[in-house]
Amino acid sequence: MTGPARSRGRMARLRDDAIRWITRRHAHDGDQAHLGRDRIYILPTRAGYTLFGIILVMLLGSINYSNNMAFLLTFLLVGIGHNAMWYTHRNLLGLQVSTLPVPAVFAGQPLTLPLRLSETAGRAREALVLRIGTHSSAPFPVPAQGTHTAKLELPGLARGVYRLPRQRLDTRYPLGILEVWSWLTLAPEIVVYPAPIDPGHTTGDDGEEAAGAHDRREGDAPDQIRPYRAGDPPGRIVWKAFARSGKLHVREFASGQGDRLWLEWGAMPASDTETRLSMLCHQVLAAHAEGRVFGLRLPDQALEPAQGVIHRDHCLHALARFRSTPVEMNPEPGP
Amino acid sequence: MRDKTARPADHTNLRGLELALVALPVAALPHVWHQPPWITALVVLAIAARAWLLGTGRPAPSLGVMSVLAVIAGGLTFAQFGTVFGQEAGTALLLVMIAFKLLETRNRRDIVIALFLGYFVVVTTYFFDQSILIAAYSLLATWLLTAALIQVHAGRVIPRPRLARQAGAMLLHALPFMLILFFVFPRVEGPLWGDPQREQTARTGLSGELNPGDIANLLQDESTALRVEFDRQVPPLRAQYWRALVMTDFDGRRWSADENRSVIQPTAADTDNLIRYTATLEPTRARYLPMLDYPSALPEDAELRANYQVLRDRPVTSRIQYSAEAALTTPPGAGEPTLDPQERTRALHLPPSAAPRSRAEVALWRATHGDDDRAIIQAALQRFSSEPYRYTLQPPRLEDDTTDTFLFETQAGYCEHYASAFAVLMRAADIPTRVVTGYQGGAWQARGEYLRLRNADAHAWNEVWLDGEGWIRVDPTAAIAPERIEQGLPGLASDTGEEIPGFLRRGEGLSWLQRARFGMDDWGDFVRFRWESWVLAFDPERQRELFARLGLDSQDWRSVLIALGVGFGCLALIALTWVGLRRPRQRHAPADRVLQQLSRRIARHDRRLERQAHEPVDAWSRRVARARPDLRESLKAFAETYNRQRFAPLTPEQRREDLRHLRSLLYAVPRGKPPAPGPDPVQA
Repeated sequence: MTGPARSRGRMARLRDDAIRWITRRHAHDGDQAHLGRDRIYILPTRAGYTLFGIILVMLLGSINYSNNMAFLLTFLLVGIGHNAMWYTHRNLLGLQVSTLPVPAVFAGQPLTLPLRLSETAGRAREALVLRIGTHSSAPFPVPAQGTHTAKLELPGLARGVYRLPRQRLDTRYPLGILEVWSWLTLAPEIVVYPAPIDPGHTTGDDGEEAAGAHDRREGDAPDQIRPYRAGDPPGRIVWKAFARSGKLHVREFASGQGDRLWLEWGAMPASDTETRLSMLCHQVLAAHAEGRVFGLRLPDQALEPAQGVIHRDHCLHALARFRSTPVEMNPEPGP
Repeated sequence: MRDKTARPADHTNLRGLELALVALPVAALPHVWHQPPWITALVVLAIAARAWLLGTGRPAPSLGVMSVLAVIAGGLTFAQFGTVFGQEAGTALLLVMIAFKLLETRNRRDIVIALFLGYFVVVTTYFFDQSILIAAYSLLATWLLTAALIQVHAGRVIPRPRLARQAGAMLLHALPFMLILFFVFPRVEGPLWGDPQREQTARTGLSGELNPGDIANLLQDESTALRVEFDRQVPPLRAQYWRALVMTDFDGRRWSADENRSVIQPTAADTDNLIRYTATLEPTRARYLPMLDYPSALPEDAELRANYQVLRDRPVTSRIQYSAEAALTTPPGAGEPTLDPQERTRALHLPPSAAPRSRAEVALWRATHGDDDRAIIQAALQRFSSEPYRYTLQPPRLEDDTTDTFLFETQAGYCEHYASAFAVLMRAADIPTRVVTGYQGGAWQARGEYLRLRNADAHAWNEVWLDGEGWIRVDPTAAIAPERIEQGLPGLASDTGEEIPGFLRRGEGLSWLQRARFGMDDWGDFVRFRWESWVLAFDPERQRELFARLGLDSQDWRSVLIALGVGFGCLALIALTWVGLRRPRQRHAPADRVLQQLSRRIARHDRRLERQAHEPVDAWSRRVARARPDLRESLKAFAETYNRQRFAPLTPEQRREDLRHLRSLLYAVPRGKPPAPGPDPVQA
């Protein structure tokens, strides 16, 4: 690392510490935050300084030419500039920000962070921007007495569980000469599944064929047909029956011991943890797509065989959390 | 703060551009009359080009093209004015810069800069025009610029009516600031640098020299020169001579005023006959102040000179107001037995070769009348009234000796010719005489109760010295036969009173259309006058007076701080009260009111069933239901709805719906005893 880069890093750390100290009273917002006067900050923008300069020149001109109309307009602009503090501040004041569940993604996929903003003061808000690090949302409005779900796109992450770093909600509306912002420390849980990797065709625990082959074989002899329940894999819907009756039914296989599929940590043809997890992830997805009853066995835990969306998500979560503690995500692109 | 505005071209960033393309031309429009046409053409072209690019979704021209265009435009500006500084050149450059800024607009920052410069353009308008119309117009321009600025910073297209309202509210909220700062901000006597008076565009006013033929331009200028408000008594029109310049030195053709005379005190005047007035003078770029004859008390910053000319300590570069006093019947030097010998010599000087024919004529008069100076004066006036002298603004050219040619050949001219010729005649007769220029007459404005003197009211007359009486005013122009005054001069309507000297009766024979025009003109002048005397005339002097009236001293920074503090304190108080009054009530208040009403209604049936303050609504409803089974269902529904209203996140529609439901449940409970077991009111 070169000298300037190091000092820049030190400056950034210093700045970060300063912000942490300033926002210490709101260090843990949890799942909602109310933007009161005690956490809204305001500073002029570059445009604000420009306007200040222009007003100063206008004032000097007014004095030099003893021009009372120029005085009037200059002071009108001073009034507008002064009141802009109030307008901009009010654009943020009193908003309620709350977390929404963050949809889990696979490693490397971009993440969308949703936050809900509620307005209760009866003022429509304009041009708010949500930021984390250098990432920012498009400007969005919040209707009076209404809500808006702000979405912030974040870059893809490695497998694991993350905490959200400090968020910043800011606005320059209406004149752009001042920026008003608030630091938020909302903490929605962010889960990133492993990226699925196909381990190949012969990877079953006890030499079973790949899942696709099973499906065909079992499809020949369905045990019974029962009405569709939410969460049943679409691959098992009896479409012919649907065409006839207009009702959804699914095939259910005899759940004998031999039909149970165990996805084993040790059976993955890879040595490193992440690759194994990725392969298991692929297997979980494949088994779910086929409607199999499957269990997952990891070195430190085992999930009993079951099926359905909920079971799939349990398994994926287990993979995401495997030997992982929540860390603060680093949204900045870098090595 | 990182600046996120400087992003590459982005269509969403150009949202405000559309509005900026309207607001900026509006701001620049008043300059069309003051700038060379090519500037206007350039700005219009640039804006049209940008609008076309925007409409067709094309990008702005590249930086290279822009630089070439900018260099060319800067060069043209320099070529036109020889400089890029100063009022006109600076404004021209500003307009060209904005045009190019608009043309090359790529991102939000460009538009914002152009709009900020737009405010500047509005201010530069005031170099040329400070009328109330321009004031109203610049409010419109400021409003549009602000609306554009709001739109640029809104993340989406804001409906036009809302935008208009919001920008309007901003201007309205800023008005109190503007007023406080306008009156309290410490004013200093300009200029801080440069010499603005030299830059001022040509102002009309009386010249320090009188050369027969000079004032003619002035006499066709109908703009206002001076406005006067009298404290109590308005002097008779006949006495309304406003002296500005006094000219004693004559070189045979030209009269000139001398600004270096010694300072004197006004002659003690008869206090019964004083006229007090306040005059508002348009900029003249000269030091003289027109004063009603004869000045007896002066403004602080002016002094009376030995020739009874009043000079200010610095030129009048902007509109000023001054108060003074006049003694109508006390001419300069009244009561003095003789004229100072040096002054006498000056006031008798005639170049030896000047006006031989006139001298011969005067010698005849002297022979006839002997020592009687008054008779000589009468003889001269008699000559003007009996011979066919004409009053005209287009006199023939005067060749050779101007006095002789005028008196004996052309016999046509206006006040200057008469005043000059009369002075020569008197001097030839050994009577000390001088020429006074100033204003005479004027139009009384009944609407604003002030006297309006236009440049067209400029006049020249004489003062002759009579031992023991002082400098007596003689107006030779008034002596010419009234019927010889040419009609249809570009004169004015209102001077038609009986008392007015004949030559001023210029309104006669005007059509009703012209009269209506003059009437409108007077109305306009009234509004202008109020605007000018209340707003534009505010200067360090007026500020001192205003502060003094409040018991403060405008020169003391502590006083200024106090005034600012009190002003803004009051403003803050008003704002806080207003915000407090408008604060929305708690959302659950309506639900609570309904609950209270219901509790009271049920308590009217049975005292004990009133809800206690500590009692949760659920508990209370169950308690009432035990005593009043007939209300069980509706109370249950009420409690449910009430809790939802208080604690559930609802949309405004749901909230209103629930509130209606609560009310219907309330109304279903009968008002008085005995409770009629009615049908279950629950519908939901």
